[in-house]
Amino acid sequence: MNILKDVLSELFSMFVADAQLTTAILATVAVAALLINATHLSALVGGAALLFGCVTVLVLSVRREATRRRAPRKDSIGGDFNF
Amino acid sequence: MLVWSTASPAVGAAFLASIVEVVEAFTIVLVVANLRGWKPAVMGTGAALLVLAAVVVILGPLLDQVPLHLLQFVIGVLLLLFGIGWLRKAVLRAGGILPLHNEDAIFAKQTAELTTEVQRHETAQDWIAAIAAFKAVLLEGLEVIFIVIAVGAGRGLLWPASLGALAACVLVLAIGAIAHRPLARVPENTLKFGVGVMLSAFGVFWTGEGLGVDWPGHDLALGVFAAVFLAAGLMAAHMVRSPIKEVKP
Repeated sequence: MNILKDVLSELFSMFVADAQLTTAILATVAVAALLINATHLSALVGGAALLFGCVTVLVLSVRREATRRRAPRKDSIGGDFNF
Repeated sequence: MLVWSTASPAVGAAFLASIVEVVEAFTIVLVVANLRGWKPAVMGTGAALLVLAAVVVILGPLLDQVPLHLLQFVIGVLLLLFGIGWLRKAVLRAGGILPLHNEDAIFAKQTAELTTEVQRHETAQDWIAAIAAFKAVLLEGLEVIFIVIAVGAGRGLLWPASLGALAACVLVLAIGAIAHRPLARVPENTLKFGVGVMLSAFGVFWTGEGLGVDWPGHDLALGVFAAVFLAAGLMAAHMVRSPIKEVKP
């Protein structure tokens, strides 16, 4: 059971390593799908939105993670007190 | 007939991604072999390969039943999630935000963990070691299977992609057998960066095709997408490497 749990957890983390990244990618796909299927625009517009949306998501996600990791930890100076 | 301009991106992506995964699995199998001998290492690896073969035998015919556009869309979205996740991690490592993957350090850590685990179970030490090898090969192998299916299934290139993955396994095992130590010199992050770029490009390509986009240049569009992701990844790594300047009031 432990092995099965580990396998399922690994499979889940393959695709959902970071919840915000996953949500942003799925939102980008949804926007592209809407542009392609629910508007009269050329399908290539949706395709371009998908490509550049994903690139933007990547860059913003890297920047967010870098900022988060560089920020001083709450528990090191000031912040919450845990006794 | 196989067109190499179409097959080579799939074969290349499967080969490079499999190198990363097989190196990681090999490190754990080597830990087991060093600690308890080759018998539990081979037992665990063999059992995992049997399970992986069963997964392939069951999944293979099922894929033929799925309509092509749906298959392309589902695989494309999964590839975007997986590929951009890999690329993000590789960019963060290239930018110095995350530490680089170190097979020697992982080897030492896994050896310490498995030694503790084995010492706790006096009667079934070989089983514990074999299960560690089984889990490592199974988990990394499932990723290899996903990558092979993802880059190969949308264009009927499952066999060429499988051969790419197999070539990676043979290469890593051959070098590992000669070196008999963790393959720490493999440029893991560079490979991961390159594979992340290729998988993300495949992800956009398949998702778009699944949604009905007829990409200009067809397969050649993959190269353009890869170039865009590569440029974005390098730019993002450079951006996080340079400290963010504070604006003085």
